[in-house]
Amino acid sequence: MIRILIVDDHPAMRAGLTAVLRAEPGFVPLDAATSDKDLWPTLNRTRPDVVVLDYHLPGDDGVVLCRAIKRRLPAPAVLLYSAYADAALTIPARLAGADGIVSKSVPANELYDSIRRVARGERVLPPLSRELLDDAGNRLEADELPILGMTLEDTPLLEIAATLGVEPAQIAHRIDRMIKRLKVEIPAPRAAR
Amino acid sequence: MTLLLMTRLLAAAVAVLLLLIHRVTAHDAQLIVATIVYTVGSLAVLTAIPRLQLSPLVWLVDCAAVLGLVAASEDWRSPFYVLMLTALILPATGLAFRRALGWGIAFALAYLGVAVYTELDANTLESTIRLETIATHLMVPLVVVLALAYATDVLERLRDERLRSERFAVESERQRIAWELHDSAKQRVHAAHLVLSALQGQVSGAQAQLVGHALGELRAAGADMDTSVAELRTPLEGRPVQRLLEERAAELGPVSEAEITVHGALGELPAHVAAHVYRIGAEALTNAVRHGAARHVDVILARNATSATIEVRDDGRGLATTRRPGSNGLRSMHARADTIGAALSIGPGPDGRGTSVVLSLSTDPDARSSQA
Repeated sequence: MIRILIVDDHPAMRAGLTAVLRAEPGFVPLDAATSDKDLWPTLNRTRPDVVVLDYHLPGDDGVVLCRAIKRRLPAPAVLLYSAYADAALTIPARLAGADGIVSKSVPANELYDSIRRVARGERVLPPLSRELLDDAGNRLEADELPILGMTLEDTPLLEIAATLGVEPAQIAHRIDRMIKRLKVEIPAPRAAR
Repeated sequence: MTLLLMTRLLAAAVAVLLLLIHRVTAHDAQLIVATIVYTVGSLAVLTAIPRLQLSPLVWLVDCAAVLGLVAASEDWRSPFYVLMLTALILPATGLAFRRALGWGIAFALAYLGVAVYTELDANTLESTIRLETIATHLMVPLVVVLALAYATDVLERLRDERLRSERFAVESERQRIAWELHDSAKQRVHAAHLVLSALQGQVSGAQAQLVGHALGELRAAGADMDTSVAELRTPLEGRPVQRLLEERAAELGPVSEAEITVHGALGELPAHVAAHVYRIGAEALTNAVRHGAARHVDVILARNATSATIEVRDDGRGLATTRRPGSNGLRSMHARADTIGAALSIGPGPDGRGTSVVLSLSTDPDARSSQA
């Protein structure tokens, strides 16, 4: 039995996902949240195993929310569910501790499969391409690169802090900043005047 | 030009009437003929060759000619005074504000020269009135130039402002439509696709075929929306596909060691088809460089009477045997190809190495409409 919390701001997507997940044996979709505002009460109340998290949300985006969710103990598995360039999300998602990225265009059975895998503790992430790493390298500061490298190799936070000789809290703060810098921009409409 | 046409005709009529009413010189008849010939001639030439209206040389000739008429009338309080002023219209409206003013001052000085030449003595009481009159006569050209140049300047600024606000309105409307397509319509398509795809394993036979067909349509709708959104955000503006692919290749250059060459051309394609073709080609190119680790990538475009083909061939490590999780690049390429009724084949290169992506579409309008 996998208990799943859906976070998506679009009603059609929430309704569709809930219906599809309910139809699959072994899945229990819980209440759905629409944004960072109602996520925390819902999360506290329902205590899901897996959070299916939309990337583009009003307020904080999915990667930022994912990082906050993964800091909780015990943390649920987080699957980023995005309609946007999924590859570009890979590095920020890894930094935020996401367990998987799934495109909104995949058929239901691929989504089921991904949910089962992250619930088992596996990772469902696209491979890191050289282009992505180069791009991230250009957007980060030189002293952030070792943190990126170690995070991508799944080095625990305490070990990164020990290696670099700084406080763990400082590393955590740096990672927050790196996530902000690597934000995947979706061009918003300019306000018409 | 309308202003010049009307004022010059009016001024010429005034000059002719004055010459008819008063005897000004001994050669009034010739002056009348010269006025009519000059007015009609200058207006005809300027109307026939509009480019001359912007030529400073023409303005200079025009100004010299009207000053010549004033001089010929042997008095600076000439019947041609108003006609003379009309020569300032083109420079005042054609030049920037300061230059127009400069032109006006130069003209006033030239007029002063003519006045001195014709007769100007300041010795009597009567000459005080004359001095006042010459001052007025000198000021009028400046006032005319200033007023016209100012009006022109304001008009131009208004026109610029309107153009800018129109462009801005179009741009923000485009952004709004893109946003709605992406944020609302596309989410619904995703939701419908997801819900329908849940049926895939549960139906069989003819029903499974129907579901498969509907899923294909939804994917194509999604790809169509992606293309529209991309078009709305960064329009291809009808530029040829090979040029766009060359630009994409140049973008990919710095992040890879691959050498990308674009050969041939596709010629004219309907804008919607060209947008899909370009985006399929760009995706193939990106895949070759990003995932295929290719050293050389050739993009070959070809067009004949009835069809167009585009091939992206690389010498990389070939197609992955297992699908990359979360990737929908290949799926969206197929969906785009379906949308434009083109055949897409993706497989190993001719000598078994690398990957070859071939897109072929019929450019015969009859054939395409029968496919649709």
